[in-house]
Formats: sequence, structure tokens, C-alpha cells
Amino acid sequence: MSQAYAPFVDRDTLVHRLDPRAKLVGISALFVLAYVFSNPVVIAVPALISLALVLSVGGYRNLRRVRVIVIALFVVGFVVWPVFLAPGGAVLLAVGPVILTEREVFIALGRSLRIVTFILGGLVFISTTTTEELVRGLRQLGVPYPICFAVGTALRLFPTFIGAAGTVRQAQAARGADLGGGSIRARLRGFIPLLIPVFMTAFRNIQTQSMALEARGFDPMGGRSFYGDLRFQRRDWALTLVSVGVMITATLAALGGFGRI
Amino acid sequence: MSADQAITLADVTFAYGPDDPTVLEGVDLAIPRGAVTVIVGASGGGKSTLLSMLNGLIPSFISGEFTGSITAAGTDLTTTRTNRVADQIGMVLQDYEAQLFGTSITAEVAFGPENLGVDPVEIDARIDRALALADLDTIDRRRPPSSLSGGQKQRLVIAGVAAMEPRVMILDEPTSDLDPAGTEALLSVLQRVRTADVDGGWAGPETVVMVTHAVEEAIGADHIIMLADGGVAASGPPAAVLRDAAALRAARVGVPPLVTAFDALGVEQAALPLTPRAAETLIETAGFTYDPRVLPVGAPAETGADTGAELFALEGVRYEYPTDREPVIAVDAVDLQIDRGAFIALIGHNGSGKSTLSKLLHGLLDPTAGTVTLDGAPLGSYSATERGRRIGYVFQNPDHQLFAETVRDEVAFGPSNFGYSGDDLDARVSAALETVDLSPLADEDPFKLSRGQRQRVALAGILATDPRCIIFDEPTTGLDATQHRQFMQLVGRLNRTEGLTVIMITHDMETVARYAPRAVVMDAGRVVFDGNTRALFSDPDRLARYQLRAPQVTQLAHRLAPEMPPPLTERELIAALGGSR
Repeated sequence: MSQAYAPFVDRDTLVHRLDPRAKLVGISALFVLAYVFSNPVVIAVPALISLALVLSVGGYRNLRRVRVIVIALFVVGFVVWPVFLAPGGAVLLAVGPVILTEREVFIALGRSLRIVTFILGGLVFISTTTTEELVRGLRQLGVPYPICFAVGTALRLFPTFIGAAGTVRQAQAARGADLGGGSIRARLRGFIPLLIPVFMTAFRNIQTQSMALEARGFDPMGGRSFYGDLRFQRRDWALTLVSVGVMITATLAALGGFGRI
Repeated sequence: MSADQAITLADVTFAYGPDDPTVLEGVDLAIPRGAVTVIVGASGGGKSTLLSMLNGLIPSFISGEFTGSITAAGTDLTTTRTNRVADQIGMVLQDYEAQLFGTSITAEVAFGPENLGVDPVEIDARIDRALALADLDTIDRRRPPSSLSGGQKQRLVIAGVAAMEPRVMILDEPTSDLDPAGTEALLSVLQRVRTADVDGGWAGPETVVMVTHAVEEAIGADHIIMLADGGVAASGPPAAVLRDAAALRAARVGVPPLVTAFDALGVEQAALPLTPRAAETLIETAGFTYDPRVLPVGAPAETGADTGAELFALEGVRYEYPTDREPVIAVDAVDLQIDRGAFIALIGHNGSGKSTLSKLLHGLLDPTAGTVTLDGAPLGSYSATERGRRIGYVFQNPDHQLFAETVRDEVAFGPSNFGYSGDDLDARVSAALETVDLSPLADEDPFKLSRGQRQRVALAGILATDPRCIIFDEPTTGLDATQHRQFMQLVGRLNRTEGLTVIMITHDMETVARYAPRAVVMDAGRVVFDGNTRALFSDPDRLARYQLRAPQVTQLAHRLAPEMPPPLTERELIAALGGSR
């Protein structure tokens, strides 16, 4: 059941099979595309590619989970950006002191699409990469092992705690706990019967874990060997080359004035 | 130190802090090399503390107030960091969830050898060997450990330690969460780890040390150390330690049922049998006559109440939960009727659907198909409060629900949620605390109580709402023999005198035989047996098919008169053998 909490989508698609490092480069290319240009029509391209990728790898589940955040960022960006921008072009809307010009709307739309691309690209990555691949990839990119281990542990514990929280929730619901509704104070009070058992469980877990680590000979600073390192396949090289090409081309094009407003 | 000792402790005294009580005092003991040693004792009696010393976690990792010496193969463990002896002494702690570090099965097993700097090519071979030993070699190795069942996780932790190829392997209650088949598989794994009949390579640890509450596991050991009152109360081979019923009771350790029975039958201590086979021989040589016709047909005396009107009815109940691949069917085509006052044991191996079914009964989950009715009305027609008032649910781990500052507040939480207040609430709380025998501790902090006491606080919190039915999910895990007996006697009494309907999930077949007149067996989400507990235990073939194991007294009866209904308790066995002398 814990599978449903983890962001990784257990499927076998081309994106899943890519080396996490190649995947990172590929997604970076999408980010560069979204970042160097400001014309929303151009930014729509990486945004749509990211969306298509999320859906094609089965990441709808994750998208649904963050949809509120995505929509909120999009809307807030769209509302806030025009305040900081110089007006220009035709006036689209004029209500009292609020004047919205074409230029402001265009740029705001571009910025919002940019943020959405970042989120969608991130979703593609976490939906298709197991924690194990991520940790190995990080280490093979040269990140120090203690940091990789910490990242891996955090990601692994997350579903465990969500699972524990689920059990606590059921246990308190069975005792008639009211888990929602009422004023903010009532809600906060309602959370105490959930939070305390979850924290106590987590605390005990961490205690046991540190002892178990020690007993398994773990020494973050000591020497160790690494089993099962990842190997770059031909498709990983191909994606990396294409992505680097896209990044360079896009940067040069942007410097040359393409996609500007 | 003699060469026959794997680890020795001399004059060890320990407390976790300067203000904490002394856990062990002046302990001298030796773990024999090349043997399986089992440590038994009351819960809270220092077993886990002692284990933590065997690889030096105490005092090198948890310093506390330590005096004395610990030596393993010439190494002073009081001055050596545990991770430096990890290649020599492997340890499996109690809570397997907290010991899984890998993100896949492969990564999990490789983790220990990686820490030791073992060459990746060699790790490959070790992974194969360790997974074969732990009977996990048929599972997809890319799966994350979190997706495995409890028993599989437990065996994976053992594989991870075995891959480090230690000389000594230490395990803290490795079977407490396992079903009978899982326990048997694990014990056979430990035997295999010891003799390592896997091709080539490492020959298994010479020495195994294990803590357990299950007396049957102790019977199979080479050496037993019994702790009581912070010291070693007895030490020796099972034949010496486990026949002394008085000493076992004093240390709050379970007495082997056959010892209890034959002691009452007047057999002298040195001749008391520990296994059904030994008991069979004794019966033949000592001239006992076994006559099971004296046994009751139904439940043992003083168990079960008369049942009344229908409480639950389930028809065609199915529950599936979604995964990325295809939905998993946890419960399927279940028809069940449960009457008021029933005492039902819900059994089956890990992952057979017991917990899911019990949650469907409480309405914590809604069935995908089929109907559940409570008192004749669909469960869905009751509000959560109405359901909660009628049915209580005691979860396996009391720590998943305790949160209040005092025991009294904790117990009052449920009833006050259900609208009780003032004097009525106080009276309910006091009565519930009285019932579970915790009145003197009403103003204590629940977190400072023992596991057995915390379990009773959780039960009191449910009793105070005065439900008609209580569902228990493995309520006796982690309780020692005395706490276990007290808890079950309390539940049995509530069933008989208050007419409380009891539905209990358990892996403990002794508990099933002794307390539950009716057993419901689940396998792969379906109910495969529903009936009289004695009928269930009379057919060894059926038990084997469901991967269940009969209590020892029943196993003896299968040897003596396989065609007759067997005794379920020591008392019944005594009666069938002519009564106590």
C-alpha cells in the first residue's frame, strides 16, 4: 500500500529506462528553454513537452497531488507580475486605477508558464526515477556520499511516516476523533492526537535506525565500496548530446533576440 | 576467556542515565561459541539492553552509566566502536521497519558489505547467497523494501546482516510479528545460516544469540539465559532451565505447556517432556492412558459466551486497492455472520487479508463490492460517531494512539468524543481503569508505562465508550508471558460476563486454542475456514494447508490419537491423561 504514497510511478517507459544523469540533463534543457526566452508562445513549447512527458510516464497521479500548487502559482504569478512591469502595447483592461497592457499580460503569462514548466519537469524526474537511481546518480555526479545517503534516507522515510500517520489517523478516528472542520483553533487542537503519536513513532524509529546503522558497520567518513554503479547507454549519450545542443542553441538564439518581447 | 566462549560479560552494571533505574546489575555471563543461545525474561527485564552489549552498542554508542567488561574474541567491546566489529558480530534489532536502509532489495543486502568495503564482484555473490538463505530469491530484486510484507521485511533484514558474513549473529525478537509459517521459515533460515548449506563461500555464523517470548523457540536452542531482576536467574541447556516451572514463573517467562501438564500429572522434574515427541515416549513408558473422550465437544471450559442476535453480516464483500500496475485484491467474496457475544479468532498468514477485513467491519474502509450490515442496517447508514460507539478497535501498537498527558485523559478521549461529559464521563473512565487494573496509575504519563500497561490503557480507552464489540489487531505482540495471560484473561472475562463481542486477529495459536471458541481462517483474501476451533485443530492436514501450527498439547494428541478431537489446553490434556495426581 505504501507504493501509492511514493512519487515514483512503477511503469516501464523509455523515460524510466534512461540513466538519471541523462534525464537530469534532458530536463535541464527544457528548463533552459523555458528560462532564456520570455515570449509565452515560445515558453509554451517546453511547458507542453513537459506536460506530455508527465502524462506519458503515468505521472497524472503526482500531477493531481500538486495541481492546487500549480494553479495557484500560475494565477498568483499572473496577477502579481504586472504590478512590477512597465506597461506597453495596447491597453487590454482599464478598471479605475488598474490598467493592464498587452505587454504586461504577455510577460506575466510567460513567467507563469516558466514556473509551471519547472514543476512539470521536476514531476517527470521524480515520477520516473527510483530513490536508488537518484542516490547513485548523485554520487556518480560527484556529490559526497554522506549527503547522498541523507537524501536517500529522507526520501525512503517519507513513505514510512506517511504510512504511520495513516495508521494513527485510523486509530484516532476509531476513537471518534474529529479530524477536520471547526475553527482554526479547534482544528489545531484536533491535530494533537495525530501529531504526538506520529512524532513519538518517528523519534523511536530514528533511535533504532541510528543503532542499526552502527551495527551494520556504517561509517559516513570511512572508506566503502559501491555496488551496482550505473552505466551510460547509447540512448543516454544521445539524449545528453541533443540536450546540450538545445541548450547552446537556445541560449545563442535568445542572445540574438529571438523569443523576446 | 575460554576459547569456547564467543562473548563474555564480567560484572556488568548498567543504567541508561544517572537518574534512571539500574537495568542490569553485576551480570556475569558467557555466550557459548558454536551454539544457539536464547535469552528469555520479563518484558522490561533488560533483554534488549543485554543484547546491545553483545556488539558493544552499549557502552560505545549508548554510553549510559556502565561498569564492567565485555570481551569478544579478544576484543574489548567497551572501547571498540560497534561499526569496527560489524564484520564479526551482526545484529538484527527488534523493529525491522527502522532497519531497512536500501531503496531496493539489492541495495538493502549490498549496504552492509559496502560499508565494509567489500569488492562489488564479491558483493554480487554475497547478495545471491544471502537472498537464497533468507528465502527471498524468488522476489523481484528491484522492489523497494517498503513494498514487502512484514515477514519478508524481517527476513530481508536478516539477509542484509548475513551478507556481512559475521561469526556471531544477534537477533532481538525476530519472530514477534511473523505468522506461524513465517516463524518456522525464519527459524529454519537461522539453522541454515548457521550450517550454511548454500553453495560455497561463507560457512554461516558459528554463534547465534536470540531474544524471544515464544517458549517453543527456546526449546529448540542449545543454551538458555534467563534474566530476572537485573541479573541472570538461570543459565544452561533447555532441559535444565525450561523444566523448572517455579523459576520460570518467577521470572515471568512462559512455562512450556507440556511441562505444566506433566508436572500436574505428578511426573518428576527431571523427566518432564519439552516436545510432543518426548511426551509421547513418556506416556508409553510411564503407563499413562490417553482418553480424549472426556473432552468437551465445543470450546474449552470457561471460554466463550452464549451468542445472541446477529451483530454483523457480510455478503460478497470485496476490497481492492489501486497500485500503478493493477489493483490488488485484499479481500474477496467474504460471507460472514457474527452474533453478539461471539469470540472469534481471525487467523491466516501475513497478507491474507485479516487486517483489511477487520477495517471493513469497523467502516475504516468501505468495501469495493458487497455489503456489511451492523444490527441489520448497512454500515454506511451509521455516522462515524454511531459506529465508533458500537464497535471499538484496538490497534496492534498502542503507541499509534497514545498522546495525552495522563492515563485518565487518554482514556477519556474516546468517550468525550462520543459526547459523554461531567460525572458520567468520570464514572466511565474510572470504571474502565478499574477493569484493566490501572486505577492507581490514572495520573501517570502514559509514555512512562510498560508496553503491557500501555496496551491496557489503549483497551481502557475503548472500554470507556462501552462498545458492543471490540476488534483487536494482534493485541499481545511484545507482551511477556505474564502480561499476555493477564490481558487475555481480561478479554475473556469481558466476553463471558459483559457479553462483549470479540474479534481478534492473532498469529498466536495457543491464544486461539485457549480463548476463542470460533476460528475464521483467511487465505489470499478469502475465508477458507469458519467454525469450531477444536474442529480446526483436529485436522493436521488442513492446518498444514493453511500454514498454521497447532499448540504443543494438540500436536501431542495428533500423535496419540489422530482420529479423535484433540485437547486444546494443558488442563484438557491433564484431564485426558487421567487428571492431576
